[in-house]
Amino acid sequence: MQLELQNIKKSYGEGGNRIEVLKDSSLGVEKGEFVVLLGPSGSGKSTLLNIIGGIDTADSGKIIIREKSMADMDEKMLTSYRREHLGYIFQMYNLIPNLTVRENIEVGAYLSKKPLDIDEIIDVLGLTEHQNKIPSQLSGGQQQRCSIGRAIIKNPDILLCDEPTGALDYNTSKEILALIERVNREYGNTVIMVTHNDAIKNMADFVVKLRDGVIRKSYRNETKQTARELDW
Amino acid sequence: MKQNKQQGNLTGKMKKPLNKRLIRELKGDIGKYIVIFILLVFSIGFVSGFLVAGESMIQAYDESFEKYTIEDGNFRTEEKISDSKKERIEKKGVSIFENFYVEKEFDNDTKLRLFANREEVDKVCVMEGRLPEELREIAIDRMYADNNELSVGDTLVSEGESYEIVGLVALSDYSALFYSNNDMMFDASAFGVAVVSSKQFAEYPEGKIRYNYAWLYDKKPVTEEEKKEASDDLMEALTGIVTLENFVPGYLNQAITFTGEDLGGDKAMVEVLLYIIIIIIAFVFGVTINNTIHKEATVIGTLRASGYTINELIRHYMAMPLIVTVIAAILGNILGYTYFKNVCVDLYYGSYSLPTYVTVWSAEAFFKTTVIPMLIMLVITYFVLRKKLQLSPLKLIKRDLSGKKPKSAIPLSKRIRFFDRFRIRILIQNKSSYIILFMGLLFANMLLFFGMMLPPLLMHYQGIVTETMLAKHTYMLQIPAGAIDSDDELSASISYVFLLNKISTNNPTAEKFSAYGLKTIGEGGNRIEDVNLYGIKEDSKFIHATFDDKTVLVSSAYADKYGLKKGDVITLKEPYEDKYYGFKVTGIYNYDGGIAVFMSKKHLNELMGLDEEVFSGYFSDTEITDIEEKYLGTIVDEESLTRVTRQLMISMGKMMYMVDAFSVVMFIVLIYLLSKLIIEKNVQSISMAKILGYTGKEVAALYIVPTAIVVVASLLISYPVLSFVMVGIFRVMLKQMMSGWMVIWLDPSVYIKMFAMGMITYAVVAVIEYGKIGKIPMSEALKNVE
Repeated sequence: MQLELQNIKKSYGEGGNRIEVLKDSSLGVEKGEFVVLLGPSGSGKSTLLNIIGGIDTADSGKIIIREKSMADMDEKMLTSYRREHLGYIFQMYNLIPNLTVRENIEVGAYLSKKPLDIDEIIDVLGLTEHQNKIPSQLSGGQQQRCSIGRAIIKNPDILLCDEPTGALDYNTSKEILALIERVNREYGNTVIMVTHNDAIKNMADFVVKLRDGVIRKSYRNETKQTARELDW
Repeated sequence: MKQNKQQGNLTGKMKKPLNKRLIRELKGDIGKYIVIFILLVFSIGFVSGFLVAGESMIQAYDESFEKYTIEDGNFRTEEKISDSKKERIEKKGVSIFENFYVEKEFDNDTKLRLFANREEVDKVCVMEGRLPEELREIAIDRMYADNNELSVGDTLVSEGESYEIVGLVALSDYSALFYSNNDMMFDASAFGVAVVSSKQFAEYPEGKIRYNYAWLYDKKPVTEEEKKEASDDLMEALTGIVTLENFVPGYLNQAITFTGEDLGGDKAMVEVLLYIIIIIIAFVFGVTINNTIHKEATVIGTLRASGYTINELIRHYMAMPLIVTVIAAILGNILGYTYFKNVCVDLYYGSYSLPTYVTVWSAEAFFKTTVIPMLIMLVITYFVLRKKLQLSPLKLIKRDLSGKKPKSAIPLSKRIRFFDRFRIRILIQNKSSYIILFMGLLFANMLLFFGMMLPPLLMHYQGIVTETMLAKHTYMLQIPAGAIDSDDELSASISYVFLLNKISTNNPTAEKFSAYGLKTIGEGGNRIEDVNLYGIKEDSKFIHATFDDKTVLVSSAYADKYGLKKGDVITLKEPYEDKYYGFKVTGIYNYDGGIAVFMSKKHLNELMGLDEEVFSGYFSDTEITDIEEKYLGTIVDEESLTRVTRQLMISMGKMMYMVDAFSVVMFIVLIYLLSKLIIEKNVQSISMAKILGYTGKEVAALYIVPTAIVVVASLLISYPVLSFVMVGIFRVMLKQMMSGWMVIWLDPSVYIKMFAMGMITYAVVAVIEYGKIGKIPMSEALKNVE
């Protein structure tokens, strides 16, 4: 098991305002799997992703990654965990506005001892002709491709995607999903994707459905579709 | 109607929520507002205090002419003027008053000029204590007392006689304590004035008394030309009646006029300093506002879309800078009238012996320190806001703030290391902040430069002036004016021969020289000043140059001040006559102690129509002791040459420390504010970099190093720029401030000190910023705002 979550609990606020975002969630992810965390707004899926990503902490429960408990990691170790093993893709891209496409991808490359070839990645992402532009010169889809580039250039073990198509139109969304699918297939990274788009579950190996902070259902998808085949 | 009213109420209510943000904005960015506020309060306070003090002082000074009946001039005669002669003089349209004095050396190595109390003219202002009434009582000049740490009740001893200090006074005709009107500068620590009772004055032996007379015109001349004409006429008349030893019209008397000329002098400079500070702060606000608009573009766009006008939003975003400026201006003015006024008054009292003053409410100071800064702030912030908020609501919502097509990135070679490219991008992104930082640092450095360069400059001058002294002791003989100034050359020679006996010395090291005092003609707006012409004997032991009949060497100080070189022609004139002399400079003689011209004794005497044997003083290696004091006029030795630097150190020393402190505060505030701004602008990216796995150190290396580079570069660039500019400023300042000249020298070690100070300041800020970067939460990037 590459990643294991055991009885994760998380709440925000205090006293009467206390909201339990995650109630006793457990989960196991195999290496190279494409996992989709599916649920409506407020279901706790993003919180779960952030806890996996080490940018948020669980109140209780255990996270074991490559047989190491995250509870034993201090801030420094968490940083190097993110640095060495994780790639992040957000709904709002979070590109560094004053860097070019190429440089934004280099931001990721810098963190890896053995980054992938940047020109190859730019080519795979279809950004060759845009590589010297800054984010504000790009469309949403291009920006998201750039942020995917930043995440995968360091060839991370786990690629965390938080609603990567949330701000994109239908066609661009499918294009981005196809790209992530290709990355998962070609580079063998584990992908954990948070979405509220029910259709996306069909491209996953493993589907986890959340509602009100509880994992309602999780199952292996036996009838996996390609991103191109999805429709919503 | 009713509906309108309702609508009005509604809009009123609608605006309130926006206003509530102001307090939150203040709380949220309290650090920034506090430092800006403090800087404003201190700048405005100091300038307000300076202007109020200046104006109060100017008023006290201006009023003193009437209040204390300051003389229109004074002259000194060899003997007491008889009543009949006095009558003859007074027929020339003047009233003359005895203003006799004696000079005494005191045990504290200082010299005091003692007057009997003056009741009609040049009246005395008692600052503390009372006027002397009895024998052995003395009231000394307040500034001399300060400089020598004397106070009422102390005693001063001269030639075994002790005087009790019963009062501290200001003599209205000695607001600047010039010993002689020919001095480059006064020295209020070594020389002062004092009054004694008439009883005491009567005790002094006649031989010691200097017969000085003050005059008042019956009909006061007004313009400079009239004053000159009146005094020229009077002098001509006087030379026919008495033997003049000294003649100083009031308008040329440095002891009276120097203060007045100087009082207004710094005002313009200080005001300009304030405005530069305000402009810098306004730009800091401008950049801050720009950042806020970037951050809040979607909100602003939404507000605009829902009906808020541009002006409502401009007012909203302008409110905070203006409120801060208003409160700072009010507090600054309060501090200005209370604390800083006293500080500045002390500065004035540290330099001048001014009478008591009354604080005047200065509308000008209020206008200049409150209204103008407000306007500057208003205009700059208004234009920054106007430019940004004019964008359409849609553009704002889309965060498309450039107004034009998105700018493309400046291409950078891939060969540059990634981190370096990253930093270059930050430099480019924040260029406007960095330009302000550069300008601000340049300005702060200018202040620091001024504060730190002046003391070594003075010390250096003190050093070279003593090194290039003509002789260890230079004695100018005091030859009664009639002796050589007579129209009849024969009688002049006769009286001269008669005098010769009294002015000869047996000192083997003494060497005779002749000297003649002329004045510059004040071309190009330069002040008219004295030029000493020295006639040097052949094979002089003291002046190492060969002279033929045409040799005219100007002193290096003269050459430096007026940019003279070999071949130039200088025009000089007789002090009290319309007689001009032209000299062709044949070389420069290394002497920094004064504005002087050297030629052969024969040449000078011939030129002035004097006998070849006539001489006017001695150069000597040792002190001359066998000439009566009354025949010795100005004595130039180390003490007298370094007087100027000592007085400048006293009068400007305090100011220098204040300038240093202020510029360091400016440094901190600017570096702090602008690096804070740059980090705030990049919070999102910094947070994202952290999520990606960048360590705190790496993030700091990316975001702090560019500021460090700008700081270092700004400092390094500022030095040559400032050296050039400040030499210019020093030259103008010194030219205006003093007769004579001071060689400008910039101490190299000051650059190192300034750089160290700049870097230490930056390091402090960098540590604060490092802490701040560490505290930026990763959740910032998750806020879903791009």
